Amino acid sequence: MNASKMIRAALAVAALVMTTFPAQAAVQVSKIQAMLAKPAIMCGRFDQTKTLAGMKKPLASNGRFCVVAGKGVLWRTLKPFPSTMRLTRDEIVNYQGDRVAMRLDAKTEPTVRMINNVLFSLLSGDLAQLESLFEVDGTVDASSWNVSLKAKQAALDKAIGTIKLEGGAYVKNIVMSENSGDRTNIVFSDIKTGESALTAEEAALF
Amino acid sequence: MTRTRQLAALWALAVCLLLGHNAYLWLVQRIVPDTDIMALLPVQERDPVLQASFAHMVDAAQQRVIVLVGAEDWTDAKRAADAYQAVLGTRSDLFTAAAIDEQTQNDWLSVFQQHRLTLLTAEQEAQLRTQPAQYWLDAALAKLYSPFGGPKLGSWQEDPFGLFGGWVQERAQETPVRPRDGHLFVADAHKQYVLLPLTLKVPALSMTAQETVLPLLQQAADASRKTAPNVELIEAGVILHAANASAQASGEVSTIGIGSLLGIIALMWFAFHSFKPISLILLSIGVGFLGALSVCWLLFGQIHLMTLVFGASLIGVAQDYGIYFLCNRLAAGEQLDSPALLRRLMPGLCFTLLAAVIGYMGLALTPFPGLRQMAVFSALGLVFAWLTVVCWFPALIGSRTLKSGALVRGYGAALRAWPLLRFNRATLVAVMVFAVAAAYGVSRLGANDDIRLLQNPPKHLIADQIKLSKLLDAPTPVQYFLVRAPSAEQVLQREEQLKARLDPLIAAKQISGYQAMSNWVPSAATQAARRALIEQKLLGSDGPLQGLAHETGEDAAWIAATRAGLLASAAPLAMDDFLKTPASEPWRHLWLGQIDGGYASIVALRGLGMAAVPQVMRAADGVQGVQWVDKVAEISSVLGRYRVNMSWVVLGAYAVVFVLLFPRYRGRTWRVLAPTAIASIAALAILGFASQNLQLFHVLALMLLLGVGVDYGIFMQEHPDRRDHTPWLAVGMSAANTILSFGLLGLSHTPALQAFGLTMLLGTALVWLIVPCFGTTTSSESKHV
Repeated sequence: MNASKMIRAALAVAALVMTTFPAQAAVQVSKIQAMLAKPAIMCGRFDQTKTLAGMKKPLASNGRFCVVAGKGVLWRTLKPFPSTMRLTRDEIVNYQGDRVAMRLDAKTEPTVRMINNVLFSLLSGDLAQLESLFEVDGTVDASSWNVSLKAKQAALDKAIGTIKLEGGAYVKNIVMSENSGDRTNIVFSDIKTGESALTAEEAALF
Repeated sequence: MTRTRQLAALWALAVCLLLGHNAYLWLVQRIVPDTDIMALLPVQERDPVLQASFAHMVDAAQQRVIVLVGAEDWTDAKRAADAYQAVLGTRSDLFTAAAIDEQTQNDWLSVFQQHRLTLLTAEQEAQLRTQPAQYWLDAALAKLYSPFGGPKLGSWQEDPFGLFGGWVQERAQETPVRPRDGHLFVADAHKQYVLLPLTLKVPALSMTAQETVLPLLQQAADASRKTAPNVELIEAGVILHAANASAQASGEVSTIGIGSLLGIIALMWFAFHSFKPISLILLSIGVGFLGALSVCWLLFGQIHLMTLVFGASLIGVAQDYGIYFLCNRLAAGEQLDSPALLRRLMPGLCFTLLAAVIGYMGLALTPFPGLRQMAVFSALGLVFAWLTVVCWFPALIGSRTLKSGALVRGYGAALRAWPLLRFNRATLVAVMVFAVAAAYGVSRLGANDDIRLLQNPPKHLIADQIKLSKLLDAPTPVQYFLVRAPSAEQVLQREEQLKARLDPLIAAKQISGYQAMSNWVPSAATQAARRALIEQKLLGSDGPLQGLAHETGEDAAWIAATRAGLLASAAPLAMDDFLKTPASEPWRHLWLGQIDGGYASIVALRGLGMAAVPQVMRAADGVQGVQWVDKVAEISSVLGRYRVNMSWVVLGAYAVVFVLLFPRYRGRTWRVLAPTAIASIAALAILGFASQNLQLFHVLALMLLLGVGVDYGIFMQEHPDRRDHTPWLAVGMSAANTILSFGLLGLSHTPALQAFGLTMLLGTALVWLIVPCFGTTTSSESKHV
């Protein structure tokens, strides 16, 4: 019945993942693939700006993110409020401090595994699943690319709006524009790869 | 003589009418036997609301066929499912496939969004009561800054504390099924499945549906396997069980019917060395069968397949009259003409018919409509067969038609060697030994009234069913709570009281969840309380909303606007509004609405195991208007009650038959009944020694055994002279045939029919063996001529 809500969450995840391995239109897939470095472990800094309907000031936050192939994604908001999101094969957990604020278990919410399947296939460079959900359009030049994603299904499109990505060897910027008027802009920087990219604290969270 | 002719002509006319009616039924009206197993179960007349609730649950389930197409890879599953659906698509007159409409999916939330402030999960409500303002401020801020902070419906401002999102998430978890790429999707740890919910457009229990739908499903499955060889197909639906049951029953009709017929033909041949008697007996049985069918159709307007199965065993009893006449014809001298012979046999024939009809009528006393029909069918069949013997046999069989063979002479001679009971020490010892052995055997009998006795579905259907309910986590349609109250609001309030008691059972993993209308539309009282709670805890001055404005640098105008926006969505959601939306479609069967002067609804349970039932059913204790409904247990208890009641009916029937026979046999009446009574007790004792559990169908067989066994007693007492082999021959032939027909019933795969057959087999054989022992030594009347 109402998967739409979970699929929206799935697409939020997908959008995040696209920050590392963006999807491409058929002609551009090989070009963008070739441009992307596909590290097993990658961490960096993000700066997020949210512009919400009905609010005057944009909301700025920043933190660290990690993507570990075969394990999942860690999204740590550090400022202004510490909050951690961890996505693994069997669950999605949101910590506020040590407290679990939200947990979605694959046993009770089957789309968790589906979200993570999308996630993991993206991490392994398999873009077929993403292309099955989105129309991908964009441009590629020698050292950078930008694409916009539009959901093929009307319900999904209505729920998530459009997503724009730009990058080179890594994704540099993502903009999500929802139909409700809420808009999120995330800029990635300071990207490190390899085992040393993870802090001890982050490694412990996985 | 002329009277014999007139009678024969009159009966010929009646038989012509029967033939005409049957031809009309089968050829013009093209009747099909009813195969609905539920039609055999008692109708609950005493509680219309309970009955309606069951109809709601079953109607929702009965027409459904659910197919799961699974593969490790989602793409394979999709391809296989598409192939499956393509085949079904060729017959859109048979199925409606639930369309996965994007628009519906998208719109179904809007009705709740308009009332979102009154929709909270129980956990959220508890947290609102206990958690401090800081908790809600933190939650809202975390949601505000997170790029994907849980499910998001509409803009952040519409649901700043994530309450509505949480409620929707809880609702989503009422089913693990999710739309995915235009398919319905469900998964376990190993495989991903496409769910194809199909609704039959033809009645699931009709023969036509079974004949057209099942081959189509098979064809679809083949197409699906061809597309993806490793695909796993799980199919479930009432129609699959019904089709299996009717295939099994049809197979058994032919086995039992043909076996019985062959047995009779062989026996007749050995006894009379002529095909004329065989054809005459078959004629009487045929007329009996067609007559019973005609009148039953006129009486009931339909005929159940089980009636025909049971009717096949009618052959065993209907032959008695013809055999009795033929055996006497064989023994009588040539100078005695057939009409005169019939006049002499009339009293015995009348009593045998009466006793058998009384036996069958005992079945009609049960509350099972199916059994009632079987009883009427059988009794009518006997009457028609009897009338055929009485009206036609004297005219058709002359005094010189029959000759006996060596087998008959040898069998007849055996009677001389048979022990005869006298009042002496040996008899006393035999009685004592029998009494002790029988008492021990009978005491070992357990009882079993399980509904599964009525049907025995094959293992693969059960396995599919179990896997399906595990994957879909769907509630069982036969065990649920029925909630009643004078008003709709009170029904919802009582549901909420019940749910509060079920929540600890979910925590204790006794059930995995419940489905109730109040999950979607809380009672007005609850909605009002929640609105007040949110206003007080979240929207008040110095509350979390104020804090949120402070943290984000917004002003009083923003607070006022947000507050107004939230309160605009606090109008109570009404049941009628919900019922009008497509979102309510999967749950409408839970709402009985206005019924029988009040309102009623169903609370269905998911993940209820057999072991948890005793504890779960007690959740309703003390909640007014809430009742635990367990159709399985109820049917079992009906079977049990009627097992006990029928036992008394059997005893009563013995008394009635005794009174009926007494005027004719006087002091010898007990000799007519004793062989049957002893055989019945012995049969029970043998079942006890074989560690069988007594069920209604054993008792029903004992009832029928009374009808059959008394025939033999009457035959023997009509001719008490031991030198007269005629009754002994009649008993032997009749008993052998009864054993053949009912013995074959014992081969049935349906436990109920098997029990019935086995009891008849043992009982009839025993009556046959002991009935000569109760002969009298001196003959005082009805001498052999």
